[in-house]
Amino acid sequence: MTAVQAPPTAALRRFAGLRHTSPGRLQLLLVILLVLTTLTGLVAGLAARSATVGTADLRDRAQPLMVEAETVYSALADADSTAAQAFITGGLEPPALTRHYDEKLTAVATALTSAARRVPADSAAAGAIREINTGLGDYMALVATARALNRQGKPVGAAYLSTASQLNRNALQPQAQLLLSAARREAEVGYNNARSAGWLVLLVPLVVLLMAALVWTQVHLSRSTRRTFNVPLLVASALTLLVAVTCSVIFVHQWVRLADADRDGSGPVEALAEMRITVLRERSNEALTLAARAGHGDLEDEFTRMAGGLAFDARRLDDVRGLMATAESQHAAYLALHQRIRELDDGGDYEGAVRMAVGDETTKAFKEVTTTLGAAVADRAAAFDADVRSAGRGLGVLTVLGPLLAIGIGMSAAIGLRARLEEYR
Amino acid sequence: MTRTRLALAAVALLAGLTACTDAQPVKETAAPAASPPAKEAAPPAETCDPRASFRPTTALQIPAGSHMKTIRDRGRLILGTSQDTLLFASRDPFTAKIEGFDVDMGREIARAVLGSPDKLEIRVVPRAKRIEAVQKGTVDLVINTMTANCARWEQVDFSTVYYEAGQSLLVGKDSTAQRIEDMGGRPVCAAAGSTSLENIGRVNPPPVAVARADFGECLVAFQLGEVEAISTDDTILAGLAAQDPYAKVVGVPFTQEPYAIAIDKKHPEFTRFVNAVLERMRGDGTWASIHDRWLAGSGPAPQPPAARYR
Repeated sequence: MTAVQAPPTAALRRFAGLRHTSPGRLQLLLVILLVLTTLTGLVAGLAARSATVGTADLRDRAQPLMVEAETVYSALADADSTAAQAFITGGLEPPALTRHYDEKLTAVATALTSAARRVPADSAAAGAIREINTGLGDYMALVATARALNRQGKPVGAAYLSTASQLNRNALQPQAQLLLSAARREAEVGYNNARSAGWLVLLVPLVVLLMAALVWTQVHLSRSTRRTFNVPLLVASALTLLVAVTCSVIFVHQWVRLADADRDGSGPVEALAEMRITVLRERSNEALTLAARAGHGDLEDEFTRMAGGLAFDARRLDDVRGLMATAESQHAAYLALHQRIRELDDGGDYEGAVRMAVGDETTKAFKEVTTTLGAAVADRAAAFDADVRSAGRGLGVLTVLGPLLAIGIGMSAAIGLRARLEEYR
Repeated sequence: MTRTRLALAAVALLAGLTACTDAQPVKETAAPAASPPAKEAAPPAETCDPRASFRPTTALQIPAGSHMKTIRDRGRLILGTSQDTLLFASRDPFTAKIEGFDVDMGREIARAVLGSPDKLEIRVVPRAKRIEAVQKGTVDLVINTMTANCARWEQVDFSTVYYEAGQSLLVGKDSTAQRIEDMGGRPVCAAAGSTSLENIGRVNPPPVAVARADFGECLVAFQLGEVEAISTDDTILAGLAAQDPYAKVVGVPFTQEPYAIAIDKKHPEFTRFVNAVLERMRGDGTWASIHDRWLAGSGPAPQPPAARYR
């Protein structure tokens, strides 16, 4: 044991003894400077690397995951309302509705496949994706059976459709909601990772310490020798200053851009996604109320609650104020039509209410709302993309430049101090 | 998925439990095999005669202040029924119209009150909410394969009986079950809020009762293999079996289910009026022609159930 411990102890003692002699002190300073330089270079590179990876992850994984989760949720709600509309129409399904329904289910399946690649296999999000995948198969089978029975004129087809609708609303949509909130958490984590605050907390004191050490060394040298300036050490200081400025500029830019992306992109996209889902559920409730043929019921009460909760003028949506104003008036137009549908149904004209609900006027009015919301989502998604791309700018360069500058600082410091050490030979 | 199904089943069961009614099952010995339900054999535990309704009005007149006048002023009769009871009240997938024996009964009453059978508005009422709909006045009457029994008489009035049914059992073609007793410990479906569900609970050995919103959804559960049988009135089962060639109705009815029209207790004059309409339909062949239109598959029209008055 002692044999192993002895050399380090001896080395430490020798190392500590260095401070008692002038050349010893210089050697000590050189070691400190080289250690600080190495650490600074390493941490600057790692911080830049971590920020690059985090920003890319946010752009290519977390944010798309959220968009896909929203697609799954809204397409499920859309498919449910389409199936209900086809049902209340009677007769064979109108081809346009069948096509729309198929498109929505394809969208769900595609988004699920792609979302599955973006989440760890053991996460809650992956669990939700699995549940939706399994349930989606059952759901599609139930709807297909309902269609086949409908074609044969068997009324039990209606019961298949209502079973399918219950599965969609009570099992699939809640899972889609889980997936959406998991995606939201992933995005938050994504923002934190992109900021790589941990590495920056290390980097800032290192740069400050290095600068201080360089300044102290030069003050010490100018006092102990007659030379006021040591050119290589000045170069080292300038390079350190360059590292500090470059890092500050790049990271401050990145943080500002990330904040922009969150405020102008992720936040509004999230709010708009919720809005689109709510609007689709409204339409779905309208059709299901008619399909149940029981008059004003719980679903209609829910409709009223949902319509009242829509905030087109939310502050988060200020950047798309124009589109939101359009959406609001379009939604109001749809609500007026819905009001008339309810009046017809409650007034005993069920057939009239159905005609109006599936008619061109209402269909068009509703489609305008979702189209406008879709345009707003696209606008904000583009803003997010631009901000995040900008946030990533310079980080790649810094990954290489950080360590390179550090090597430069180390070499300059070594040259500067070696010239002084030579004088003691 | 399994969890989902279980959750749905649990919800359905809960709905069933909160929607209890209490039909009295007839002991097997009390119901002679293969005979139409005996009119003289009232269920032993009944505290009243559920088949006896108010005396009919002598003429189909509509006095001021009567509920018939309210309906006439409104311009339509609001009927509460179901949309998936084939032959009695089901939705034709092609026309999206609800039709059947029960709907035709409603059309006759609309004709008597309003002069046209088409002045009829149909509201679909879940079985568990039929009494509530009548009491709240959201519908004028419920005609929905609804059994008149004493517990329900406490809450609503019933017309005279317009059809005599009895609970039976539907199983798969390859099943060996012959009677409901053969289903002990196995899943049997019935609609929430129906007397059928209650009756299943009284069978010994007890089957596992599974509740669905209506009998159409029971057929879905049966076809998906979630239940092995459906037990309800022979009339409803005939409609279900007609939609599934792999299903068969077995055994003889083990209860009596006299169908009557439910009307709010606030309008006894309307019940009397409806009884007068039913009286006329029994006499002039309308009942028989409606029977032939929908239930010809079960044989030629029998004598309509005789009216009993209190």
